[in-house]
Amino acid sequence: MTRGVLLFAQNNASVDYVKQAIFCAKKIKKHLGIDVALATDNVEYLEKTYPYYKTYIKHVIELEYVTNVQKRKYRDGTMAKRNLEWRNLDRPLAYDITPFDETIVMDADFIIGNSNLLNAFDTDEDFLIYRHITDLNKDRPDEFRFNKISDRGIDMYWATVFYFKKTEFMHSFFELIKHIKEQWHFYRLIYQIPQVTYRNDYSFSIAIHIFNGFQRTNWPKTLPGLLWFTSDSDVLIKMEDETYTFLLDKKEWKGHYTLGKVQDVNIHIMNKFSLDRAISKVLQYE
Amino acid sequence: MNKGFCLLAQNNGETDYIRQAYALALSLHKYNSGQKISLITNDIVPDEWQEPFDNIIPIPWSDDAEDSEWKINNRWKVYHASPYDETIVLEADMLILSDITHWWKELEKRELFFVSNVKTYRDEVVTSKYYRKTFEANSLPNLYSALHYFKKGNTAKEFYNLLEIIVNNWQLFYGKYAAEQYQKWCSIDVSAAIASKILDNETEITDPNSYITFAHMKPRIQNWENPPKKWTKVIGQYYTKDGSLLLGNYLQNGVLHYVEDEFLTDKIIERLK
Repeated sequence: MTRGVLLFAQNNASVDYVKQAIFCAKKIKKHLGIDVALATDNVEYLEKTYPYYKTYIKHVIELEYVTNVQKRKYRDGTMAKRNLEWRNLDRPLAYDITPFDETIVMDADFIIGNSNLLNAFDTDEDFLIYRHITDLNKDRPDEFRFNKISDRGIDMYWATVFYFKKTEFMHSFFELIKHIKEQWHFYRLIYQIPQVTYRNDYSFSIAIHIFNGFQRTNWPKTLPGLLWFTSDSDVLIKMEDETYTFLLDKKEWKGHYTLGKVQDVNIHIMNKFSLDRAISKVLQYE
Repeated sequence: MNKGFCLLAQNNGETDYIRQAYALALSLHKYNSGQKISLITNDIVPDEWQEPFDNIIPIPWSDDAEDSEWKINNRWKVYHASPYDETIVLEADMLILSDITHWWKELEKRELFFVSNVKTYRDEVVTSKYYRKTFEANSLPNLYSALHYFKKGNTAKEFYNLLEIIVNNWQLFYGKYAAEQYQKWCSIDVSAAIASKILDNETEITDPNSYITFAHMKPRIQNWENPPKKWTKVIGQYYTKDGSLLLGNYLQNGVLHYVEDEFLTDKIIERLK
């Protein structure tokens, strides 16, 4: 059985997801020691800009470049934001394109800091995913922790990172996600999602709900360890080995922050700009 | 032992509770075979609605709720009117949406049982005390009379006799046992909770971990950030041809306490038939 991590990196005008994926792969090599596949529509950019990528990435899977009009706000702390393309539509292809029998799929901005996720390969489960996040910012209002996909909606699952085996069951699951993506506006209305843009967390949550027979069950099980989370209103200011220091958004004092530090965790860093600044310092010596 | 379901229904100026009772009886038979159900009422039950009931029983003695709009004054009489040795009492604005016949096996272990852990439509345990302020303030047992069980015998009889006294003298009892967050009307839930407190039998008549429960659709206990006045206005309701009810995309099982009469459309009744 082959095992590995599949990353997706599709750049927009301001965010270099390819660079993030290389850094993510570097951390995977260090902590998980398994092969990494990168799915990207920027292969030429990858090869020219980061010629050392093969040190960390074993498989490169070329995705078709599709003009994508879907946009969302990317914040850099509470005071700066940009409206940029959000090229997240290929995640449902994970089953079709993965070169592995058992795959962990991760966002490129999910940074590995320990080996907890290796335990995912030691279960009988076909599919593992996080139901809850662990927010580093304890001052964040509950509604931003996304327990549900909407106020009256179903349970939220986080497609930031998940594990799957290549089985018939999971093939059906991913086919359903593709269908939800294709009929997104129907599903978002039925599931009372105010947001117009397609979001993988939502389509995975809906597919899980449907696979559960429209009920809450104990499927799917959670991935090992915790999914630490910082939003794009927080700012990563220092990255030293496995220690990350953030300015964390104060709830009722816009533009003011609390200092927070975390170590040896697996963390989703939503502020791509501050992550990019930190990664640039690390990769400059490659 | 003779077992059956019982409900007491009386129409008021706004709501046709007999229609609701009819729908409940249809739903019981649709998903549960060989069950008995009796309706206690003084209202006229149209011929076509009588069929699913085993008995239609007049309210014993006089109608104590004749002059009240929220007709709960007769509820204590269920014990005396029920034709069964073991009875599950339901409120009219409920539907049974799956096979619950295995509940009898669990309930026969008790003399009396009240639900105390209701669920949301999303199958989450209700933790909100929005409608239960007087219970919390006065440390009353968190009983829901909308679904309860009794076995005829001294224990249940003693309870219902006390319930009768409390309902008929509710201001006196509420003033003594529920003085904090005082409720200015009589309710069977508060009255039953006071009866349980006086008899000190909470642990014998309820279990917050029991699987015997129901989905309670009062809007402010659904774990919504922005609760509406009516749940029927904000989430989708689909009753499929194969008899599955989905609320807000959640498949409903067990017992649903829908509360809002507009939920019970003629289409749903047609599909329950």
